[in-house]
Amino acid sequence: MAGHIINGNSGTIPRVGDEEEGVGQLVLDLQEKGTNFVLLKKTPQILELQTILKDRTTNHSDFVFNADRLMRLVIEEGLNHLPFTEHTVTTPTGFRYEGIQFNRGNCGVSLCRSGEAMEVSLRQCCRCIRIGKILIGDEQKVLYARLLPDINSRRVLLLYPTIGSGTTVCKAIEVLKEARVPDENIYLVALFISPTGLKNITRKYPYITVVASDITSLYPNHFSTSYFGAV
Amino acid sequence: MVAEKKDAVTASKGDSNRKSVKIEECPTYSHSSGSSVNEMVNQNGGDSEDSVSPRAAGCRTRRRTMSGGRAEHHLLTTKTGKKIYTKGRPPWYDKKGKSLKHPFVIGVCGGSASGKTTVAEKIVERLGIPWVTILSMDSFYKVLTPEEIKEAHESKYNFDEPKAFDFDLLYEILKRLREGKSVDVPVYDFNTHSRDPNSKMMYGADVLIFEGILAFHDERIKNLMDMKVFVDTDGDLRLARRIVRDVTDRGRDIDGIMEQYFTFVKLQPAFDKYIAPCMDYADLIVPRGGENDVAIDMIVQNVMAQLVERGYDRNQNNRDRHDLVRDDLPDCLPENLFILKETPQVKGLVTFVRDRDTSRDNHIFYSDRLMRILIEECMNHMPYKDVEIEMAGGRKTLGKRKDAMICGLPIMRAGECMETALRSIVKDCVIGKILIQTNETTFDPELHYIRLPPHITRYKVIIMDATVTTGSAAMMAIRVLLDHDVKEEDIFVASLLMGQQGAHALAYAFPKVKLITTAMDHQMTENCYLIPGMGNFGDRYYGTGIDQDLDEPFDV
Repeated sequence: MAGHIINGNSGTIPRVGDEEEGVGQLVLDLQEKGTNFVLLKKTPQILELQTILKDRTTNHSDFVFNADRLMRLVIEEGLNHLPFTEHTVTTPTGFRYEGIQFNRGNCGVSLCRSGEAMEVSLRQCCRCIRIGKILIGDEQKVLYARLLPDINSRRVLLLYPTIGSGTTVCKAIEVLKEARVPDENIYLVALFISPTGLKNITRKYPYITVVASDITSLYPNHFSTSYFGAV
Repeated sequence: MVAEKKDAVTASKGDSNRKSVKIEECPTYSHSSGSSVNEMVNQNGGDSEDSVSPRAAGCRTRRRTMSGGRAEHHLLTTKTGKKIYTKGRPPWYDKKGKSLKHPFVIGVCGGSASGKTTVAEKIVERLGIPWVTILSMDSFYKVLTPEEIKEAHESKYNFDEPKAFDFDLLYEILKRLREGKSVDVPVYDFNTHSRDPNSKMMYGADVLIFEGILAFHDERIKNLMDMKVFVDTDGDLRLARRIVRDVTDRGRDIDGIMEQYFTFVKLQPAFDKYIAPCMDYADLIVPRGGENDVAIDMIVQNVMAQLVERGYDRNQNNRDRHDLVRDDLPDCLPENLFILKETPQVKGLVTFVRDRDTSRDNHIFYSDRLMRILIEECMNHMPYKDVEIEMAGGRKTLGKRKDAMICGLPIMRAGECMETALRSIVKDCVIGKILIQTNETTFDPELHYIRLPPHITRYKVIIMDATVTTGSAAMMAIRVLLDHDVKEEDIFVASLLMGQQGAHALAYAFPKVKLITTAMDHQMTENCYLIPGMGNFGDRYYGTGIDQDLDEPFDV
């Protein structure tokens, strides 16, 4: 059991990737409620990417490069939870291979501004996927929402890199719900999610799928400032 | 179906493009490099030879401003104008990946300008073995001090004496070559009497010829030789040749040469003192140097006989391709093999790549995605170190940073597809290159070209190839790296598809090399292609195969 005292002056320095207090119980609770919470495997290369993104000395170029890498990995993982069908093909050498085929009917929705950074990674995996946008301003006011007309019949990948309190995400899901997207068709994809944020979101929407690389209260703030370079 | 099958046979050999590049074409590019895997002597065949005048009857001269310059050593032009191209290097290791035999070392000794090089070249020519290395003692002249350079310019420095040579270095290099390892041979510049900063890379070979005026002088070096040949040429003829060589190639004047000759060669006769005694050690003395065809034929016959005795088979027609593959497969997969977790994405991507009906457009796109996942997985096998970082707001946390420099080594051509993926994951990676092709007659893999970064031992090296079928190409690449002193545990093999037999062969030979693949096929046909396989990946990715979809929008 790794030590992980995070609050204040205890002297122990937390380690990237260590499970914080209460998180284990939180995840168990979610499972019980039927929330599909997916955490990326804590492989050394993912821990390294998280380290680079958390490090304040990381320069802009490295931040973008490594954020793109990590976003690509969470998107790839997110796609793993979309439905597929069995599909047998013939190889060039004439043999049969029992493979699978991805189902159609997915789309992305990016939550402005930081969520837009993940559009690139999504497009790198799904070349012509349709992407809607939601912009939520101060005081949780929806300034802009442009969704697909048939979004209610699609599975929606909601993109937002760092989730703190989760209020903005809740607002965005509310917008999706207004467009009659069922809970189970919503896949929230994030780099970092705080335990509070996860708790808040899943309390309101227990049947969504959440994919993240890390659940931590030590998430890098100001992601979009670091990524886009503009405050 | 006929065309397709042919295609498949090509694909099955573990790498890609042997159909499209004829072996004879290889020197076109290896010629420009200083490190083509095959080294043969002679730079001024043909034209430049005629410009040398007056010529001593029938003698060949070499340009001597640089010893073994970077541009030479790639093809041999015979006097009849026939070019012997260097061909790829066949395996020099057994199926366990261990070195098979040390090269047959022939020492050629003789007075200056006696025709040692001519003899060496004629031996190469008549042996007809593609993998021969000629090492000249000229490369091992010591670097001169300023005073000595002054002496040299005044023709007062004695180049024919043992102390002019760096025998220790020579011994080390010969020993390594004999072990089949790579060496950096110094390039000696006769103008500045120093070593060129760019040394030349050489490999061991089936036959290694070492020539020099004091070839038999050092006891240690002499003991490394399997055959010792002394070239005995008339002193007057040697002087005539030497004058021609020194005037035309080393820019000396006649007076200087004569002075040097009488001081060191005649009056204090280096020849009688150091070189002539070498004759006693020789197994064979060749009078009249390179003109003596009878003697050279005898040498060649003897070398061939000894090579055959050692198991060298120049035709190797009957050699079974399965030789390098284990037939008795263990029940469980090797421990150093890592197959990507078969997530829906991985499986779906593999389906696209395997499907013969996938359009080229999709094939490229989805295989690129798959390769990206593969290379990300490779990064998990690199060493990491703990670092303490400070986050915005001043909070401290412990994290991980990669503690390795990465070098990608794609096996041409299919492996090169992965370069993009590697670059988009490791910004500052170094990318080498290696060309291994299967000989159509012997079915042996042959090494044709290699480019590695300097200080390769500092890197973790990822050998990249689309498919590992029998593993013969990857095995050769690993063997080459080991010969460059890369540690086994620093080598990784990344591929999209591995055959079980190939993986076992590699794992058995090199248990510390990590094998990482996105998929594995357990069966193989008689012709060594995987079931169900994915065809010739390189041809599909680059579009050089027989294509099903001809209506590509950008296909002009």
